[in-house]
Amino acid sequence: MLTYFVLAPIVIAVFLYLFSSNKTNRIIAIVMQAIITGFALYLLLQTRQQGEILTFVGNYQGLLGVVLKADMMAASFVLLTALLFLVVAIYSLHEENSKLFWLLMFIWEGLLIGIFLSRDFFNVFVLAEVATVVVAVLIMYDKGRRNMFDGLVFLMANTVAIQFYLFGIGYVYMLTGVLDMQAATDILATLPRENLILPYALMMTAIAFKAAVIPMYSWLPKVQGIPRAPDAVAALLSGLHVKSAIFLFIRFQDVFAPVASTDLFLVIGLITAIVGVVMAVSQVDIKLLLAYSSTAQIGLIIAGLSIDDPYSHAGSLYHMISHALYKVALFLIAGVLSGMYGTRDMRKIKGIFKKDKFIGIAIVLALLGITGAPLFNGNVSKYFIMSGADYVVNSLMILINLGTILVAIKFGAMLFGTPDESYVGKKTDKSSDVAIYALCLMCFAGGIFGEELMDFLFNAPFQMSFYGFIEKIIILSASWVVGLVVYKYVFADNKNQAFFGRIRAIDLNFRGICVSIGAFFVVALAVVGFLS
Amino acid sequence: MTLALLLLWVVSGLLILQERTVFRMVIYLGVFSLITTIIFLFQGAPDVALANASVSGFSTIFLIVCFEKYYSAKDSAKKTKPNMPKVRLAGVCRGVAVLLFSVLMCVMFIHFLPDSEVSTYLKHQYATLFYSDVGGENAVTAIYLAYRLYDTVFEALMLVVSVIAVVHLSFFDEMSVSSGRQSEIRHSATAIRTIRVVCPIIILFGVYLIANGHLSPGGGFQGGVAVAVFFVCRFMIFNIYDLPVGTVLKDEKIVFLGIILVAVFVIFLGIHQYFPYQHTALLQTLYLLMMNTLIGVKVALGFMMLFYRYVAVDRQ
Amino acid sequence: MRMMEIIPIIVFFMGMFGLMFSKNIIKSVACLVLMEMAVIVFILGLSYRAGVLPPIGRGLQYNLDGIADPLPQALMITAIIIGLAVTAIDFTMIIHLVRKHKSTDWNEVKALSRESFDKC
Repeated sequence: MLTYFVLAPIVIAVFLYLFSSNKTNRIIAIVMQAIITGFALYLLLQTRQQGEILTFVGNYQGLLGVVLKADMMAASFVLLTALLFLVVAIYSLHEENSKLFWLLMFIWEGLLIGIFLSRDFFNVFVLAEVATVVVAVLIMYDKGRRNMFDGLVFLMANTVAIQFYLFGIGYVYMLTGVLDMQAATDILATLPRENLILPYALMMTAIAFKAAVIPMYSWLPKVQGIPRAPDAVAALLSGLHVKSAIFLFIRFQDVFAPVASTDLFLVIGLITAIVGVVMAVSQVDIKLLLAYSSTAQIGLIIAGLSIDDPYSHAGSLYHMISHALYKVALFLIAGVLSGMYGTRDMRKIKGIFKKDKFIGIAIVLALLGITGAPLFNGNVSKYFIMSGADYVVNSLMILINLGTILVAIKFGAMLFGTPDESYVGKKTDKSSDVAIYALCLMCFAGGIFGEELMDFLFNAPFQMSFYGFIEKIIILSASWVVGLVVYKYVFADNKNQAFFGRIRAIDLNFRGICVSIGAFFVVALAVVGFLS
Repeated sequence: MTLALLLLWVVSGLLILQERTVFRMVIYLGVFSLITTIIFLFQGAPDVALANASVSGFSTIFLIVCFEKYYSAKDSAKKTKPNMPKVRLAGVCRGVAVLLFSVLMCVMFIHFLPDSEVSTYLKHQYATLFYSDVGGENAVTAIYLAYRLYDTVFEALMLVVSVIAVVHLSFFDEMSVSSGRQSEIRHSATAIRTIRVVCPIIILFGVYLIANGHLSPGGGFQGGVAVAVFFVCRFMIFNIYDLPVGTVLKDEKIVFLGIILVAVFVIFLGIHQYFPYQHTALLQTLYLLMMNTLIGVKVALGFMMLFYRYVAVDRQ
Repeated sequence: MRMMEIIPIIVFFMGMFGLMFSKNIIKSVACLVLMEMAVIVFILGLSYRAGVLPPIGRGLQYNLDGIADPLPQALMITAIIIGLAVTAIDFTMIIHLVRKHKSTDWNEVKALSRESFDKC
C-alpha cells in the first residue's frame, strides 16, 4: 500500500505534464493534492490503529527487496507534506505556471514522501539525490533572472556530501550484510562499538549537511535567497526539504544507537541556533532573514532531539511541524510583499497595515507563532523542548528565543510607518490570501489543541503544567521587553549598518563549503572515537 | 596485477589533480574512467563495467566536443593555455594546509577502519533464490529489475529529471534546436568512414545487450546508451540534427509511465508470484525482456536528448 | 582484501583535496567524479578475491566464495547513472556560465555572476 503513496504523485506529475494544458493543470493539481491529503490522513488513522504498517515491495520475503515502513512519526510527516503541498498549490493558483513547474512539484512531493516512508539505506540515497536535482531545477525555474552560480554550488556541494553517505552505506553493508534499517539496527547493536564509529561519522556528515547545521548551513540561505525562485519552492525548502533530513537524523541516531553521540549534536544544534539568530537579525533582505531564522530553528530542533528526555524529544518533533507551518506562511507572505512593493529590501517595505489589513493580520498571527506566544503552536513545542533541558541549555534557549523575538520585531516593523513611492500596489489574489490564512489558522489551532495534536500525531500524551506555563509567560514577556529595548537602541532606523553589513558579507565559497564538510567529518570522528 | 592496476588508477587520479588545462583534464578523466572500468572487471562486475564504460565514453566525447566549441571561439589561444600564475606564498600556505587537512582526514579514516569480516547474508540468499524467484541467469539483472525494482524506478526518474534539467537550463531557448540545423563540426573523411563501418556494429551490440540482459552482462541501460550512440553517430555523419525535441521529450515520459505501469502490475502488486506453474519460466523471461526493452528505449531517448543539448548548439 | 579498501580511500581523499584546493570549476567536477568512482570501487571491492567470477549462471550457491556479491553491483549501476545525471546537469550549468563569463575560475565566475545580477 505504501508504495502507491510514493508513486502516485509521480504518476500524476507525468500525466499532468503529458495530457493537460497550462490553464487546467492548476485546478487538477489542487484536486489531486486534496485527494493525496485525504489518503495521507487515512494513513495516519490506520497507523494509529495498527501501530506500524509495513510494505514489502514486490512481496519478496525477508530482506531481499525494499521495505517501506509507516510508523506514527512517518505518517505524520507524510500528512504534513501533503498538506503543505496542497496549501502551496492553492497559493500558486493565480500564477500561470508552466507544466514543468507542476511536474517538478509533484515529483518533489513523491520523493519527500518516499524519504519519510523508506526503511532502506540505499533507497534513501537515491531519493535524496533525485530530490536535490529537482530542487536545483526548481530554484532556477525562472529563465530570465536565475542565478546559475548558486544553483551550481548547491548541486555540487550536495553531491559531495552524499558521497560520504554512500561510503557509509558501503560500511554498513560490510558490517551487517543488509540494507534494511531495522535489521541493521538489530545487528549493529551486537557489534563491537569501535566498528560503528566510521560509518556513523560518514553518514552523519551527509545528514548534517542536508539538515543545514553549522558549519554547513550556508547552502540553505543561498538557495532560498535566489531572486525569482518561486516563492513556494523557498517556502517548502525550509518547511519540508530540510525536515526530511532531520527526520533521517532521528532515524539514524536510532540505527547507530551504540555510538550515537547526543552531546555532539546538542552543542552543534545550540551553536547553529545562535549563529542563525545572529545572521538573521543582521539581514535586510526579507527572504534571507527568514532563511537564517530557519537555520536558528533547525538548530533548536537538533538540540531538542539530542536532549535525553521524552518531553524534549516529543517537543522537537512537534516543533518540526509548527516550524514548517509558520515558516511556510512567512515565506509565502514574503513572496506577496515583494510582489506588492517590488522589492525584497525590508528597509523599503513600510506601512503594510495601511495598505492591506488582511496581510497585516496574517503577519501578526505568523509572528506570534514563531516567537512562541501563548495560544500558538510555537509556544507548545518550545515549552516541551525546554522542559527537558538542564539549566545551562535552558538559559541558552531563552537567549535564542530572545533572538527569534528580535527577528519577529524586525519583521513586524514593516507593518508600521507610511508606505513610500516604492509601493507598486499589486493586489494580492484571493487564492494566496486563502492559503496564507489557512496556514495561520493552523498555527493558531496548533497552539490551542497543542497537547491533543501531539498525542494524535506522535502518540506523546504529555501535559503542560500550569506553573510551568505561567513561568513561561513571564519569561516570554520579559524577553519581549528586552527585545523591544534592544531593537530601539540597536536596530531601529537602520543603525549600525556598517557592522551588520560586515556580518552579512560572511559567506563560504564552494571550496569553503567542501572544507566545512571535511571539518565536520573529522570533528564527528574525533568526538565519537576519542572523547566518548 | 590488481595492485599494479590500482596504483595506475591512483596515478591517473593524480594526473587529473595536477593538470591545469581543461582539454587535458577531460582526456585524463577519460583515462581514469577507463582504468576504473578495468578494475570493475577485475572485481567480477561486468555489468557495472559496461555501464561505466558506456557512460564515461559518452561523457568524454561530449565534453571534448563542448569545450572544443567554447574554446574554438575567438579567444581560444588565451584560454586554452592560461599563463601559469605566479606562485604566491599565500597560495602555497593554503595548499599545504589543505593537503595536511586531507592527509589528516585520510589517516583518521584509516585509523577507524572497522575490523570485521564481510557479511554474506544477502549474497547467499540472492545466489540461492534468484533463479526461481525472478528467472534469467544474471543475478545482477534479477536484483536490478525485480528485487530492487523500486530503486530502479527512481533511477529512471532521475534520468527524466536530468533531461528536463539539461533542456531547461542549457544556454539556449527551450526548443531552439528544432530541425535541419547543420553541424559545425568538420570531420575528416577517415573519421566518417570509420563511423560508417562502426555504426551497424554499435547498434547490433546495443540490441544484443538489451535482448540478453537477463542472461549475460548488460541490460537496458547499457544497451540503451549503445543505441543512442548509434543515432548520435548517424547525426554526426550526415550532419543533420532533425530530432523533434518536443516529441522526444514527450515520448520519453510516456516510456517512463510504461516502466512504472509494468513495475506496478507485475512486481509491486505481487502478480509475479502467481504466474501459472507450467509457464513460469517463459513469463519471467518475457517480463525481464520487456523491462529491459522499455528501459533501453527510455535511456536511448534520454541520451539522445542530452547529446542534442550539448552538441547541437546554434551559432553564436 | 585491505588494498581494495585502502586505495579507494586514498583516491576519495585525493578528490576531496582537489575540491578543497582547486580554483577551477571543471577540475572540481573532475574531483567529484574521482570521489564517486572511489566509492564505487570500494563498495564493489567488498567481496573481492583474486580471480572472483561475475554472479552469472545457475547454481551460484554452490560456489559462494568464488563469485562476486550481486547486490552491490546492482546498487552501483544505479549510483553510476545517478552520478552521470548529476554530472550532466553540472556541465550544463558550467557551460552556461563559461559561455557567459568566459572563465572557469570559481572566484571570477562568482564575482561576474554577482555583478551581472545586481544590474537586473
